[in-house]
Amino acid sequence: MRPLDEKETTLVFNKLHKFVGGNLKNIVLENQSLEGPDPNPGHYCFRLQKQRVYYVSESLVKRATNIKRENLVSLGTQIGKFTKGGKFFLTIQSLNLLAANAKHKVWLKPTSEMSFLYGNSVLKGGVGRITENIQVNDGVVVFSMADVPLGFGDAAKSTVDCRKMDPNGIVVHRHADIGEYLRMEDDL
Amino acid sequence: MGKKKQKIVLPPELPPEVPDEDIEVSDEDVQFVNQNLEYAGFVSNLDTHSITKHVNRVADANEGALESMYEKRLKRKLENQGKEENVVEVDPVDALPVKTLDGQLYYRRVVKDTKKPEEELQEGESTGKDSGLVKLTKAEKRAKFKKLRKEAKKQSNEEVQQTPQAEVLDEVKKDLTAEEASEEKKYKLAELGTSLLADPESNIKCIKEMLEISKDGNSAIVILGLKSLLAVFKDIIPGYRIRLPTQKEQEMKVSKAVKKMRFYESTLLSAYKAYVQKLVALQQHTVYKRVAVRCLCTLLAAVPHFNYRESLLFAVVNNISSQDDVIRKLCCTAVKSLFTDEGKHGGEATVEAVKRIAELVKDHNCQLHPDAVEVFMALSFDEDLGKQQKSDLDNKSKSKKSKKRKGMDEPNNMPDNERKKTKKEMLSKAREEVNADFKAASFAQDPQERRRMQTQTLSAVCQTLFRILKHAAQPTSEAGTVPVSSGNHPLLAPCLNGIGKFSHLIDLDFMADLMNCLRRLAGNSSKLGGSSDNSSSHLTVSERLRCCIIAFKVMKNNLDALNVDLQDFFVQFYNLILEYRPGRDQGEVLAEAMKIILCDDRQHDTQRAAAFIKRLATFTLCFGSAESMAALVTVKHLLQKNAKCRNLLENDAGGGNVAGVISKYQPNATDPNLSGALASVLWELNLLMKHYHPAVSTIATSISTMLASTNQICHSHVSPEQAYLDLSKENESLVQSINIKRANNKKRKGKDGVPVKVGSDLNLTDVIDETKVRKQLSEHFVLLRDIQENERLRSELERTTLYVNLYEDYKRQKKRKTKQQLKKCTTDK
Repeated sequence: MRPLDEKETTLVFNKLHKFVGGNLKNIVLENQSLEGPDPNPGHYCFRLQKQRVYYVSESLVKRATNIKRENLVSLGTQIGKFTKGGKFFLTIQSLNLLAANAKHKVWLKPTSEMSFLYGNSVLKGGVGRITENIQVNDGVVVFSMADVPLGFGDAAKSTVDCRKMDPNGIVVHRHADIGEYLRMEDDL
Repeated sequence: MGKKKQKIVLPPELPPEVPDEDIEVSDEDVQFVNQNLEYAGFVSNLDTHSITKHVNRVADANEGALESMYEKRLKRKLENQGKEENVVEVDPVDALPVKTLDGQLYYRRVVKDTKKPEEELQEGESTGKDSGLVKLTKAEKRAKFKKLRKEAKKQSNEEVQQTPQAEVLDEVKKDLTAEEASEEKKYKLAELGTSLLADPESNIKCIKEMLEISKDGNSAIVILGLKSLLAVFKDIIPGYRIRLPTQKEQEMKVSKAVKKMRFYESTLLSAYKAYVQKLVALQQHTVYKRVAVRCLCTLLAAVPHFNYRESLLFAVVNNISSQDDVIRKLCCTAVKSLFTDEGKHGGEATVEAVKRIAELVKDHNCQLHPDAVEVFMALSFDEDLGKQQKSDLDNKSKSKKSKKRKGMDEPNNMPDNERKKTKKEMLSKAREEVNADFKAASFAQDPQERRRMQTQTLSAVCQTLFRILKHAAQPTSEAGTVPVSSGNHPLLAPCLNGIGKFSHLIDLDFMADLMNCLRRLAGNSSKLGGSSDNSSSHLTVSERLRCCIIAFKVMKNNLDALNVDLQDFFVQFYNLILEYRPGRDQGEVLAEAMKIILCDDRQHDTQRAAAFIKRLATFTLCFGSAESMAALVTVKHLLQKNAKCRNLLENDAGGGNVAGVISKYQPNATDPNLSGALASVLWELNLLMKHYHPAVSTIATSISTMLASTNQICHSHVSPEQAYLDLSKENESLVQSINIKRANNKKRKGKDGVPVKVGSDLNLTDVIDETKVRKQLSEHFVLLRDIQENERLRSELERTTLYVNLYEDYKRQKKRKTKQQLKKCTTDK
């Protein structure tokens, strides 16, 4: 377990910024953890362990130092992975963090929720509601109509273009969805 | 000419001249003058030179010549009279008579005859005698006056001074004659006007005379002339546009009737042109400005189809943002009438007017009076303006296809005999011609033409509106240096209204730009950080609220199969609630914003809804009763829709899991999603239940008990806007208070399921009314101090009667209760 170096930090922050925009400040600096017996609430920080990036409260990090690196399986919330090629991608566990701070959202109609959870992209016909002012390639968090976060992805079309599309066009390319908890249980 | 000469030459008769020595001055007079020396000063200051000049203008000439002149004049008059009589007797049919202003009839021949000797005379005078009887130019006149003065000086020894009395008399006479003349002219105007109205075709020449009269120097007469001309024109202008005959047409032989008609039309047109030009010119003068503008406006409203509409429009639209309230209002109503009855001019004038306004806005860099843009609200477009275009395109493609088909068919037909084909062609040609004629003749507008006009109008309107928006959204560099107020963008408010009205017609391609503009206007204080103060302060809170409202309206109107969530505007609105000040900003706008942004939208995030509920509830504590009523209605609405948010009503602060990531309520957060409002408790309701205003306290209690009776929710139909208006107006009318009472009753019955005492409610509202009335009364009586004591006594009396009434009520109720109890007891038993 070690803190991210500069290059890794920029990679991670760039990815997060794509989804949460200005709220990144909120995630990194202002979010306060109330874990542990400490009277003063601590902050959260990012840690790298076995190519995985974790979002951990400081108090937890202190305690985790007691454990050997090879014995430490996981700590805090995993938010993403570095591939062997050095690229960073967000995993489904980061969904809660993203959903709370998301800038761009898409709400799915109940009928198309299932299709999304099976790993398909979001089609225009399935969109119940969409945030205004989404640009192409922005990070979008997908919700059900009851405001339950379902996953996230990339915008394939801007909001304005979405109006003119036919109902079978793709609005959001899927990155991750909560169906992965079942489908890819072993990999996570 | 002749008349003028006569007037100039004939000096008024002077009183008999008396040498100075002969005048006897009585002692009394001397005394009087000595006593009132101050007032006698003017006598010594009198400019005797000018007086003599005025009076003896003619006398300066040598006397012999003068005498001969008088003689000649007399002779000529006699001659003229004689000739006139002669001619009338001899040859009356020769020419049409001309009627002059003083009502005399002149026959052409006579006029010619008389002119000749006159001219000869004048020539003789001007050449024979140096003394200037003929006025040519001012310079000459001056030179002559100088000469005259010199001569007069020489002659002054011989000549006797005129007494001042004569001068005064003369002036009075002049005044009298002027008055008479003006009276005469007035009558003349009236006569001419009525004759014109009675039979315009034969009396069309009178119009020119009227025009002449209205060129008078006297402003009153000019105004009268303009007005009467306006009335005449309004009545006699035909329902079509006059086209002057071309050279060719004029050469052609036509029947008498047509000739007459042509003459009539051309005179009418030329007179109208002169009139319009005159009006446009008179606009510049302060004296005539209002009259001229009023005439222009009425003309534009009454005869927009007629010739010279362009100049009318130009003048009217230029005055549309005039400083003068009256003029501006006139112009606005004229333009609005143009927009509303398009049947009169077939829409062309609308297009022109809108384009003209667009240019005006452009030229003045959006610094105009708001009325200039407000007139757009009177515009109306066909609902299916956009759809028709599509179908039209289809038609076009279809027609192309059909043409192709025809082309395909034709070669097949070729072998058939040619006759049939030619016949067919002839038939179709004839049909087309007939159709064209029919179209030209019928008043029904071609739908295509109409649509083309409307699209033109719409594009001009949109251009103007977007220009204003862009202008307002520009980051003004002066904003930092100069304390800028809302006056900087006077056109913004009507522009926003216009966008709201026409939003369903705006093309989707503009939508993104429009939203961006609105977002910038609504003031992104969070993004700009330090410079946020500048950017947000250059629009007032109500204006920014309006921007949010318009954004939502636009989105709602263009809602086709895609439900767009305007998160940015929610954030703006969330922050604007903080900046709202009850006195300064318009409560109606806030209420409208609450309705459109929070109530009309179908779904909300739980977090966001909770944040809004919390914020609104907090601010009802410091709003006025009307605003807090509106806010509470909204809160209720939100709570009814979002079941999760009812956690706020629980006594236990949720925190932790319920609140999501943010575990503590942050009242200062700018983003409603990050405020963590779900972790808080709506303690404000408890305070609001003790609100001084009964309606507010009622609704607060109904909200706080909502949790207990979740099952029997019935949606209240009162919108926050309505609630606001009701409460802000209620003090006057009893009717409204009754309405509110009913609403309250309904809500209570619906929500609580608890039996409501109607009587007590009635009493409450009555008490409010009385207190308010009393307040108003006291205001009045403060002004009238004398009656203050009286008022006090009266109020005491009122109070006592009220107490008595109340006591009686109480007694009655008690009796009833006891009776009921007795009954109950008896039934129980």
